[in-house]
Amino acid sequence: MKKLILTLMLFVSALGFSQKKLPSLTLKNLEGTTVSTTQDYNEKDKIYMFCFWATWCAPCIQELDAISEVYEDWKSQLNVEVIAVSIDDARTNKRVKPLVNGKGWDYSILLDINQDFKRSLGISNPPYTAVVKNGEIVFTQNGHTPGSESHLLEQLKALK
Amino acid sequence: MNKILTYAFLFSSLFAFSQEADSTKTKLKFFGSYEGNGQWYTNDKNRKIQHDSVPLRSNNYLNFNVNYGKFTVGTQIESYTNEALLNFNPKFKGTDFATYYANYKSKKLDVTLGHYYVQFGSGMILRTWEDRALGINNALRGTKLVYSPIEDVTLTALYGRARTGFDVANSDVYGFNTDINLGKLIQLKAFDFKYGFSAVSRFEELPENVQNFEELTNLFSNRFEFGFKNYYLNTEYVFKTRDAIIKEGNLDTDFAKEGSALLVNFGYSKKGLGFDATLRRVENMQLLAQRSPDKYAALSSTSVNYNDKILNFVPSLTKQHHSNLANIYVYQSQYQVVMDQSTGINKFGEIGGQLDFFYDFKKGSALGGEYGTKVNLNASSWFNLKAKYRYVNNAGEDIYNYQTELFQTNEKYFSDYNVEITKKVSRNFRTAFTYINQYYNNKQIQGIFNEYVVNSHTVFSESTYQLSGTKSITFGLEHMWADNDRKNWAGGNIEYNHNENWSVFAMDMYNYGFDEKTHTISETDLFDIHFYNFGTAYKNGSTRIALNYGRQRGGLVCAGGVCRFVPPSTGLGIQISTSF
Repeated sequence: MKKLILTLMLFVSALGFSQKKLPSLTLKNLEGTTVSTTQDYNEKDKIYMFCFWATWCAPCIQELDAISEVYEDWKSQLNVEVIAVSIDDARTNKRVKPLVNGKGWDYSILLDINQDFKRSLGISNPPYTAVVKNGEIVFTQNGHTPGSESHLLEQLKALK
Repeated sequence: MNKILTYAFLFSSLFAFSQEADSTKTKLKFFGSYEGNGQWYTNDKNRKIQHDSVPLRSNNYLNFNVNYGKFTVGTQIESYTNEALLNFNPKFKGTDFATYYANYKSKKLDVTLGHYYVQFGSGMILRTWEDRALGINNALRGTKLVYSPIEDVTLTALYGRARTGFDVANSDVYGFNTDINLGKLIQLKAFDFKYGFSAVSRFEELPENVQNFEELTNLFSNRFEFGFKNYYLNTEYVFKTRDAIIKEGNLDTDFAKEGSALLVNFGYSKKGLGFDATLRRVENMQLLAQRSPDKYAALSSTSVNYNDKILNFVPSLTKQHHSNLANIYVYQSQYQVVMDQSTGINKFGEIGGQLDFFYDFKKGSALGGEYGTKVNLNASSWFNLKAKYRYVNNAGEDIYNYQTELFQTNEKYFSDYNVEITKKVSRNFRTAFTYINQYYNNKQIQGIFNEYVVNSHTVFSESTYQLSGTKSITFGLEHMWADNDRKNWAGGNIEYNHNENWSVFAMDMYNYGFDEKTHTISETDLFDIHFYNFGTAYKNGSTRIALNYGRQRGGLVCAGGVCRFVPPSTGLGIQISTSF
């Protein structure tokens, strides 16, 4: 068994060059409509920012609150859309809708209730951001740094 | 040596992936992730803790997948070296392939062979998932077919055996699910109307002399969702056929009952305002892949205590708090039946609800100030189900029975009333204030008898000050007044973010205020003690590496309302996560 695993790892190391595509999954949005991660976010050259969050994750909410304040400004400078992917499971997912509205967030919301999307990207814990352009993941960020929003805009602009 | 080699390869793989070549035209795509949580358990003289006989432990998860067009294959290797972290399921032992699958996915069809994760409805009838912090992975191994003939209809059929350790449980699970967007199908414009139905069967052989219930246990779930303008209403009703109940750690084939769950959720929300209410009644809804728990005599524990072989998810519907102190008395939903003649604890389920109210005071309004103010009110209360019960039947035999009332109760398990206010005070300063009032019935929830009801008040404040660019300081202070058990706690935390890559943190929780004459010394931890922790984290792209040193409070570690008991410990921890 050990040998098999070692061989597999060697194989993996050798294979380790690839570009990462956004996995194709279907999720529900807040209205209960089915949305495809690849077919519904495929406008050419548009920047899609998938922010993984949960109602119980304070840094996630801090990050989305902060982006919310500059979101209009971002949209005026770039063709960008923020998609807040809630990984809340059945324990807390009923709190998503009132929280999003209560916060006045303007994001598209996806419900990843059994964490299929999170798992397919190999995410351990939120907050986690994956920036997608033309179906490719071009930028990832594991965790949130307060104040990183201004820097992020520059990074998104550099993607052009 | 072998281990070192394994790690060397592992790391070489990781480095190779981080170099993403930019224009490979091959259709073969490779992706995966690695997560490792290691702990070096040390002695702690002040706590009178001797480190474990295996002081170096780690849980490692390497996941990789290959995609070619519509086909994907993948596996997850798990390695518990030298052993799993303290108090994880003892079945997590050694290094091996933990899950593997092959998947074909087109627009209408999604077929998986091997291990898969699935949830029907809210998960009360069936849920397989992974929670590494809690050591839960009950993926089914078998076949799953998802078919969408038209956009508004989804059908799922599955067969499998639930994962336990590196093996599968000795029972067969069959499932069928459909979700239909009826409103769209019949072109209702004003309303949203959806319907869902699931059926799940678990087949486990029984000895021939057992006639009291069937080998095949069936569960059914019916769900309706309505939406009208800004209002919504969702319901789910789950029924479980007659099945044996675990009595004092053993399966009692003479004691078999039906189970049920009713969930009603409704709310109203528009921009700047949200209201949501959930009501739920649950009775006898424990569902295990094998009826009889495995016994771990050496640990005086059973597999149920490690969330092993669970098939469904009945979460506690309470707010998951950010405050450390408000997570000392965490409610666990009481969906299972417990009848114990010796302790007099008799539980058949729970009934209760949760309310949430969110409001955004606009910028420029009197309470909103220059940057706005956000408020959340949350309340939840959970009670027992009132029931008639007996330990002996009319013939004088030692056979338990009970009969619950539909909507009556005579004991409170838990309540939590809290308010959270978040405010951006200036361009560089944001702050949050939380008040939490909790009632925790220790006797009913955890089976602890000494002065069993804990009433607590907690205040918690956390603020972030932006120094410049991405330099910031976050500091929090909290206090909990508790009238019982370990009494009061004070806590604080501080975190400094130097830039987007580096941060350091320190925190402490201090327990005080009890009278040693009237309090017996706690079994899990000493009184009058600081639970400190400090560490640093480095993050870059999809990678995060964190180191910490400190004390772990003995008790329940909970996520999503599911808890795991951890022994008190002190030591050095390392956490690594990356994806590629």
